[in-house]
Amino acid sequence: MIPSIAVALSMSMLAAFAVPAWGQAAARGFTPSRLANGKPNFNGIWEALGPANYDIERHIARPSMMLREGPHGTLPAVPLLRLGAVAAVPGSMGVVEGGKIPYKPEAQKKRQENREHWLERDPEIKCYLPGVPRATYMPFPFQIIQNQNQFFISYEYAGAHRDIYFKDPGPPETDSWMGQSVGKWEGDTLVVDVTGQNDQTWFDRSGTFHSSQLHVVERYTLMTPNHIRYEATIEDPDVFTKPWKISLPLYRRMEPDARLMDFKCVEFVEELLFGEYRRKPLPRP
Amino acid sequence: MRSSATISCALLLAAGSLPGADTRRTPDGHPDLSGLYDIATLTPLVRPPNVGGRLNLTDAEAKAIAKADADRKAKLNVASDPNRKAPPAGGDGSEGAAGNVGGYNTLWVDNGNGAFKIDGTWRTSILIDPPDGRFPEMTSNARKRAMERGRLQRPNRGDAWWIKEGITPGPFDDPEIRGLAERCLLGFGSSAGPPALPVLYNNVKQIVQTKDTIVILNEMVHDVRTVRMNAKHDPPDIRKWLGDSVGHWEGDTLVVDTTNFNDHPALFSATRDLHVVERFKRLDDKTLLYRFTVEDPSVWTKPWTGEYVWPATESRIYEYACHEGNYSFANILRGARLLEAEALAKPAGQDK
Amino acid sequence: MKKNSKTALAAAALLSAGALFFAGVSRLDAHHAFGAEFDPNLPVLLKGPLVRVEWINPHTWFHVEVTAKDGTKEVWMVEGGTPNSLLRRGLKRDTLKPGQVVIVDGYQSKDRSKRANGRDVTLADGQKFFMGSSGTGAPYDAPGKDQRK
Repeated sequence: MIPSIAVALSMSMLAAFAVPAWGQAAARGFTPSRLANGKPNFNGIWEALGPANYDIERHIARPSMMLREGPHGTLPAVPLLRLGAVAAVPGSMGVVEGGKIPYKPEAQKKRQENREHWLERDPEIKCYLPGVPRATYMPFPFQIIQNQNQFFISYEYAGAHRDIYFKDPGPPETDSWMGQSVGKWEGDTLVVDVTGQNDQTWFDRSGTFHSSQLHVVERYTLMTPNHIRYEATIEDPDVFTKPWKISLPLYRRMEPDARLMDFKCVEFVEELLFGEYRRKPLPRP
Repeated sequence: MRSSATISCALLLAAGSLPGADTRRTPDGHPDLSGLYDIATLTPLVRPPNVGGRLNLTDAEAKAIAKADADRKAKLNVASDPNRKAPPAGGDGSEGAAGNVGGYNTLWVDNGNGAFKIDGTWRTSILIDPPDGRFPEMTSNARKRAMERGRLQRPNRGDAWWIKEGITPGPFDDPEIRGLAERCLLGFGSSAGPPALPVLYNNVKQIVQTKDTIVILNEMVHDVRTVRMNAKHDPPDIRKWLGDSVGHWEGDTLVVDTTNFNDHPALFSATRDLHVVERFKRLDDKTLLYRFTVEDPSVWTKPWTGEYVWPATESRIYEYACHEGNYSFANILRGARLLEAEALAKPAGQDK
Repeated sequence: MKKNSKTALAAAALLSAGALFFAGVSRLDAHHAFGAEFDPNLPVLLKGPLVRVEWINPHTWFHVEVTAKDGTKEVWMVEGGTPNSLLRRGLKRDTLKPGQVVIVDGYQSKDRSKRANGRDVTLADGQKFFMGSSGTGAPYDAPGKDQRK
């Protein structure tokens, strides 16, 4: 009992008190536009910038999304060689507060294995639904459609979507890729509690995985008319030694014709997944 | 008494909330269509041949249909013989999508309990125009294409009949020639459409309405239709799986116009020339009227129109992550390859 | 008499035209025809404990451990319908527990793997599982019963 109380406490402390400095500075004195019921208006098309989807931890650039040992350091793995710099991983100060994810030792090993087997294991490659929080910082826009009773998020990537429930329906009856999201307002911040995700998604392309015990608490706060401060506290007692947190700005897509395009992507991976079963299979690596 | 009733009526009218009328409005004054709806109904799209061409069922007929359906489902749901044997070799004779192997138990089906009613009268079909409730005539090209598709349909006998009959290309040659639902690209039977049509299960829809954007969420295949209000269509080179939807209000009716489909709309036999106009109107606190007109000059010689109701539901949309769990598709393709190999290995003249 | 037969005719017509289980889907682009996946020449009867239930779409898959006559055990995957139909009736994933014995009759996958369609999946006593709280074989609860949201 006591350990989970401690965890719950650290979760809430992380959530309530550790507002990133950039968030505080920008939010000072800002009043968002509001819906008729007084809630801040998040309607619009938004997107994360930066390479969080490559690797959420702080890291310098890497030669490729999958690596092998070369005679003088790492090299792109053979299947990615011809993509050259297109398959390289940009550097980033990371979105994980504190820089590193607190993995349990056996989980750390598994993450390393995931990296070594990235091509077979990353669900993004098969166009699988991304889960939360990865959906937020995929390099694709998403749209928030919000009225006085509903808060709906439609993601361009894989046509993923989430409906934020404001009435808690109780524990999810089954696991799903995008989980169950229950929201409430804390002042002008939407707090979303996400449970019931299956264990199939990753946090990024770097093998950062979780179990089905994953519990995510997101916070969405408008900082300016065109920026959202996005924070997510991650808890998974099967995988991490303690809760940890990510934060990043979300940027409004300003172009007048901004909209979500189709990126169903299922049709793009049929050759990958089923091409060997064609009557006349085509050349494959 | 009378005068005070009149006064309170007038006051209510002035406040815009006369009870019994569509009292739910958004801050910008339009009817609020947001909510969850279960569109399952036993009324078919096309009018059955032996209702004498009528648009309406009598109350007695509707009651009989509901009872027959309940009885049939109850019968299919009673306990089976725990000492039963395997089903018959050669198939169990089941038709349609059950494919001579019996599909699965009825308890998975959620297709409604009865016909639907509009304006207090039961309907024999969703189609109302042409007035006989049946599709208009197809173009000769479309008829040819339908015949081509028919050429590739056979009852399931567990063999690679296309090898035996020398039909090429065969129906399982490539993933791209299989049905969109089998590939987990779009829900079967025009579930999301547009037009959205009732199907065998997972008929729940959700509308999220704002001034500038209205979203229609369809459970299969987690398809989000985004209606841009008072906007222009995308240019003609932008083609989309669900088409491009723009909307506007005509009084209290939401009119949604959809074009820019890609070459594979969900609506059976439709092409990229498909044009759908939908009209949503709130009938009462628990019901929307959904009416649609379909035009595809490549397929039908005339537009056709249908309508049915969207009743509110206490249920919710559940995740339908199809592609992620699509074991069947690989099974189907592998099965076809195995049967082809068997058919080719047999000397000519020998059959199963 | 005439009116009654007309009613019955119309009722039958409506049922046959669109409402019969799977029959109405044959003209349309069916989700997938079971006829594409399973072989009518390979009937199976499986009996054994569940080892796993995958509550996934487009189909639930039951993993059933079957013991052959020589004592070897193998696990068969049995295809059901959409779990969403069951969730909508208020049933939960843990309604079916590993270890629970089921009987399945169906047909084997055309690719000859240990897969079959769940033509009829029952508990050991023949009852359809997921048959509402009474389990008596009474019709399942009406749609919309699930009081969510």
